[in-house]
Amino acid sequence: MRLGIATRLAVVLALLGALAAGLTGFYVYEASRDLLVASAKNKLLTSNQVVLRRITLTREMVTRNLQMLSAHPASLRALQHPQTQDLDQLATLFRLMMDSNPAYFQIRLIAAHDHGIEVVRVDRDAVGLLRVDDADLQEKGHYAYVSETLKLATGQTYMSRIVINRERGAHAGEGKPALMMAMPVVDTDRGVQGVVVINLDLQGMFSLLAADLPSQFQLMLANGAGDILVHPDANLAFGFDRGQRQLVQEHMPPTLPLVRGDADSVVFEMHEGVYASNPVVAAFIGKNIEIASEDGRLLLGLTQPIADVVQEVDRLRVSIVNIVVGLSLACLVVAVVVASALSRPINAIGRAARFFAVGQVKTALPTHRQDEIGDLARSFSRMQDQISQQLEELESSRQELSDLARHDGLTGLANRRLFEERLQSALAQRRRHGGELALVFLDLDKFKDINDQQGHEAGDEVLKVVASRLRANTREVDTPARLGGDEFVVLLCPAPEPTQLAALARKLLEAVSVPIVHEQELLELGCSIGISRSPVDGLTAEELLAAADEAMYEVKQAGRNGFRFATPIPG
Amino acid sequence: MPPTNRRHHLCQLSALGLAVSLPVRAVSSSSIPVLRVLAWPGYAEPEVVKSFEQIHGVQVELTIIDTDEALWRRISANHSSDFDVFAINTAELQRCIRHGLVSPVPGANIPNLKKQLPRFQDVRSIRGLVHGGKAMAVPFTYAEMGLIYDRQQIGQAPESINALWDVRYKGRVLAYNGGSHSFSLAAQTMGLSSPFKLGTKDWPVAVDKLIALRRNVAAFYAQPDESLELFKSRQAALLFANYGSQQLQLLKGAGLDVGYAIPKEGALAWLDCWAITRGVRDLALASAWINHLLGKPASDLLRTRQGLASTTEEPEHTRPTDRRVWLEPVEDDDRRNRMWARIVSGDRAAKVLAS
Repeated sequence: MRLGIATRLAVVLALLGALAAGLTGFYVYEASRDLLVASAKNKLLTSNQVVLRRITLTREMVTRNLQMLSAHPASLRALQHPQTQDLDQLATLFRLMMDSNPAYFQIRLIAAHDHGIEVVRVDRDAVGLLRVDDADLQEKGHYAYVSETLKLATGQTYMSRIVINRERGAHAGEGKPALMMAMPVVDTDRGVQGVVVINLDLQGMFSLLAADLPSQFQLMLANGAGDILVHPDANLAFGFDRGQRQLVQEHMPPTLPLVRGDADSVVFEMHEGVYASNPVVAAFIGKNIEIASEDGRLLLGLTQPIADVVQEVDRLRVSIVNIVVGLSLACLVVAVVVASALSRPINAIGRAARFFAVGQVKTALPTHRQDEIGDLARSFSRMQDQISQQLEELESSRQELSDLARHDGLTGLANRRLFEERLQSALAQRRRHGGELALVFLDLDKFKDINDQQGHEAGDEVLKVVASRLRANTREVDTPARLGGDEFVVLLCPAPEPTQLAALARKLLEAVSVPIVHEQELLELGCSIGISRSPVDGLTAEELLAAADEAMYEVKQAGRNGFRFATPIPG
Repeated sequence: MPPTNRRHHLCQLSALGLAVSLPVRAVSSSSIPVLRVLAWPGYAEPEVVKSFEQIHGVQVELTIIDTDEALWRRISANHSSDFDVFAINTAELQRCIRHGLVSPVPGANIPNLKKQLPRFQDVRSIRGLVHGGKAMAVPFTYAEMGLIYDRQQIGQAPESINALWDVRYKGRVLAYNGGSHSFSLAAQTMGLSSPFKLGTKDWPVAVDKLIALRRNVAAFYAQPDESLELFKSRQAALLFANYGSQQLQLLKGAGLDVGYAIPKEGALAWLDCWAITRGVRDLALASAWINHLLGKPASDLLRTRQGLASTTEEPEHTRPTDRRVWLEPVEDDDRRNRMWARIVSGDRAAKVLAS
């Protein structure tokens, strides 16, 4: 298939348009996506800091409660000289505090003496709060939250490792992730007498924190060594409690610098492993525990599925695709319009050239345009005019040349060539349609004498006058011609009746015989005429000319100034 | 640390943990004889397997298990006919013998038995190895639970388990948080004939003993790294090394000046043996495998790569005269663990005994 410039131009323009639109759309999409992911990371990190702040606030509130309880006079009295009244008062206090703090599993007053025997203990269980009976009170001296807290000074807080509470009889807290916070009860004279311990419901606390976060955020917590404590996949949390450690740095390698303590926060994307099918953005913060603790550091993490993050950009993607398709279509239309606007005048010029070539001069050209095409059209038009004009001139020259070739330059009569053409044509005519033609052969008498005596100019003058007299005395359809020298012939076709021919001959004799004035001299001349007729005297030009010439010669022989038929006419 | 995990499971004889079994090599060719081996991680190192294959022109199909439960499931399926030879501890071996899943070991086919330390050659001295007058398994590797002590605080290596109860070390003792072993430990101090068989009247005494232990310790640990942390943070003087020599290496590696002692009552110890299944296809080949594993290359790899003791060489940190009390099934594992959970939680005797 032959593709025209217009088609090719349209295709190229349309493709260019579509490409430009597509590339722009793609980069807009990529840039938007990157922006969104970056902003999601920031948001995660900020949210993470907020969560961390809330954890710190919770811890500070627990610390204030511990301060209140450890400083309460009843605490010291209960440890040193236990009276039912003091114990009951403390139990009531513990209850009130637990009522207002649903995240507290347990509050205890534990003695430094008697192997860390619990003195007052209020537990939360399935139905509510429960003060533990004396017989069920336990010795806790071998737990770090007792032994380590006993080493602290007044008002200092101890925070335990976060573990699954395996202490039997801990009611609601048993088997649950627990965080113990404790503070010593100090007698200014006799030193540390015991500790107050608050057992925090880690799961409850984190559920509350998670509830305040956008639903797609997932909260994670790990201890300083990286052991996962809170994780959306419950199977990963507290792996060490089941003999299989689950470390955050193994599940999410980018957290390694946090575990090592080389960084305080990391933000990253996870596309590998379990995240292959559902990649996430994650932000982790490492927070040193500023109070006495064996964990040293906590790692708090938030993740969000990338799918959620780029959800908006996916909507954008639909718009972008629509825009790209629309732009491409628009480009196609524009391309077609531009291409045809460009090709129409070119086609017009082309058409003009074709028509001009076949002779149809002057078709409409876009000469009005003020651009390159207009210039081209105008140049073309000028060229067309020039060529036309030159062609006309050429034609007239040709015509002239043709005339010159067929006429006698002196007299303007047909020359021998034209005469023979006409004769041949007339003969052919006669052969087809019948009819007669006649030749009147005329030779001037005494012309040589005039020429010799009066000069060539006089001779030429004589020839011209004779020619005009021949023209004046013949019909329009007849062809008078000068064959050369002083020989004239008149072709008569159709030939008149012989009598009329004879009359013509006489008329011609008479006309030629009228003296000619040349330079105040009268020039006398006469002529001899021979007449041949076809078909009587021949069927060909040669036969007819020869016959007429012979008849004329006979007149010359007979004494000139007369006429004779080649074949005498009857009567 | 696979051996530690493995021992942890073993020591607890627990139902915890996931049973993992990995067929290490699939066997394709039918023309080459195949030996089907079931073993714990690190027992049959690749070079050991390869040299055996080359020497005997056979293919070894090795399956690795890491819990007693997985081992029992594999061996008891199809009446042991899925395997030819397997590694098992003395306590679990009893169950297999009872179910008729093991064949007697043809000692004459295993010349390397002569290389074993005398105490392992004397299979009759190891309870449970001999059945119907025939040796049912060959001791392969073991670890004992000795006492680790801080040389700075305790000049003389402790001689008796009673050191754990010594009030001089109150608050500086670390004990293991496990019911079975703790009651066995208590039974040893009570001078019972078998620490694994507590009689009705023994329970209250054992509970009192363990409560006393609780009152003397700084903390109970579960994992080796935890014991290291506690040893440092509590400035411990004495540690009941449930993980034995590995724990010793761990503490020494951390720069602690510690010694290792096997108490005169004898250290509780686990012993893993090679046994041949009842469904063995080629007894001679299975015997050759055991012989190969008692050879020097295999024994050296066991020691250097896995940190486990072989039965052919005396470890550096123990003496030939040290007594070991090979673990046996206890009278009531569940009761021991139930009471132990109470003891660790801080309950007093009445409450513990009532549980």
